[in-house]
Amino acid sequence: MKRSLKPTFVIFGLLGGLLLLDLLLPIVNLLIYADWSSWMVALREPGAGKALRTSALTSAISVAIMTFLGVPLGYLLARGRLPFQRFWMGLVFLPMVVPGLAGGILLLLTFGPNGMIGKPLDSWDIALTNNFVGIVLAQLFVSAPFVIVSAYAGFAGVDSKLEMAAATLGDSRWDIFRRISLPLAWPGIAAGITLAWIRALGEFGATLIVAYNPHTLPVYLWVRFESNGLTGALPVALLLVLLAAGAVAISMFLSHLTGYGEGVGVRDYIPGRQT
Amino acid sequence: MYAGSLATVMENGLGPAYSKATGGEYQGEAQGSLGAARMIRDRLRSPDVFISADPAVNRNVLMGAENREMVTWFVTLASSQLVLAYNPESKFAAKFQAASAGTIPWYEVLQTPGLRFGRGDPRTDPKGYRTLFLFDLAARHYQRPELTGLLGDPINPDQVFPEIVLLARVQSGQFDAGIFYRHEVVAHKLPYVSFPPEINLGDPKFASFYAQASFTTPTGERVSGAPILFTITIPKVAGNETGARNFVRFMLSSNKLLEEFGLGAVDHLVGGEIMQVPMELRSLSSGKYEP
Repeated sequence: MKRSLKPTFVIFGLLGGLLLLDLLLPIVNLLIYADWSSWMVALREPGAGKALRTSALTSAISVAIMTFLGVPLGYLLARGRLPFQRFWMGLVFLPMVVPGLAGGILLLLTFGPNGMIGKPLDSWDIALTNNFVGIVLAQLFVSAPFVIVSAYAGFAGVDSKLEMAAATLGDSRWDIFRRISLPLAWPGIAAGITLAWIRALGEFGATLIVAYNPHTLPVYLWVRFESNGLTGALPVALLLVLLAAGAVAISMFLSHLTGYGEGVGVRDYIPGRQT
Repeated sequence: MYAGSLATVMENGLGPAYSKATGGEYQGEAQGSLGAARMIRDRLRSPDVFISADPAVNRNVLMGAENREMVTWFVTLASSQLVLAYNPESKFAAKFQAASAGTIPWYEVLQTPGLRFGRGDPRTDPKGYRTLFLFDLAARHYQRPELTGLLGDPINPDQVFPEIVLLARVQSGQFDAGIFYRHEVVAHKLPYVSFPPEINLGDPKFASFYAQASFTTPTGERVSGAPILFTITIPKVAGNETGARNFVRFMLSSNKLLEEFGLGAVDHLVGGEIMQVPMELRSLSSGKYEP
């Protein structure tokens, strides 16, 4: 039977195609609209370079922190037999679905100079908002769940027979984690980290509230949009789209290494599913 | 579409009042005046009515051939003035109260070490550059040139915030004080210290004194100090011309309501081409606006 004759596929293709129009047309339109030569000039402005450096540095720090702290948490959730495990998973998901602006306000109330954490530090002249620390806090809030969830899915997907075999051979928990679980789960985790990185890089709502300065790329995009209009904003928008495209490509490649095919890390996780 | 600082006035006051009085539909969008005007010019928005926080925004961004004559006229709607609002729980609240009562000068409070105050971003928000004017004029008025030093760089990252973020910071006590329009402070029930009319940009009598201060925006538009005036207009792209005229007429006849929200009533003067103003609105205006 010929594939093309299956009416289900044809109808699904049409439905999906409509959605793809909304997803892809704006990006195609941006590329058509592009005025490359003058845009390159706009991107060479000192403000743009500074915002790119700020974004690159803070998102790198965020990714390092969320990997170092999030991967162990994912392992704990997958293998720790925690009480109330669904509850913990739900908590991890929460920041992912809270709007950035709301997250920013909550962060400001906690880490601002009059906040629960911010106030005692303020008397030592340590500020947690409106600087790199504030940006990193906002990025962690919105993107760390990607790492935790992909780590959870990765570790949960490791065949527990392998881990048990190692245990019967006398390996400690740490050895099992280091020699078996982590290497097997790593490609999926790495894909999740890449997604978390681009989410951190693109974070706007929470960052605007917590750290308007120094401008990250998305905040710089907003300031340019407000102060210079469309022509000021489009080059920065293009840069962000290109960075995102690169990250998605890397993430797809890493997922491919896991042998799952084209998933992007969090694919295998269904909220609430116990493995 | 209206200037961001009017959010409470429009959403809780005039918008519902208009619907109630006329049965017409009201749907508002708050944006920084400059940003909103650029969105209209770039055809990203086509509001029926545009209320700006500065006549200069109309002239620089929307009027004239270079802006495709998006707007050909505007009418002055209301005035406001800058005030120094503070958080009543700030540890410096007593000092602000004293300044409010006139026992110590306001700038001495701002000079207190450890006090945090914020202001609007002059790149995106007329209130931002008006705050620069305020301090420039204060330095002249009190003959204390050091006062401009309280601000540092025009876009000093420690002080400059988007409108709504600054309000959240002062309300939640993350900042002790901020420079706001009086109508914002009235809407959000914050205590405030008034400035003398020579520097608060709220009194047209001092227009020529205000004009001594100036600022150049990142796109090279030079703005000079002028009384704070909100203007209303119907852009060329308006889809519902009748609804727009009804709404503007309602706004121009609502001085009392505007005053309740902390704005000042003004003569409704026409800027731009008076013959382009719809007939029924022309009768509500009382002269020509001369900057």
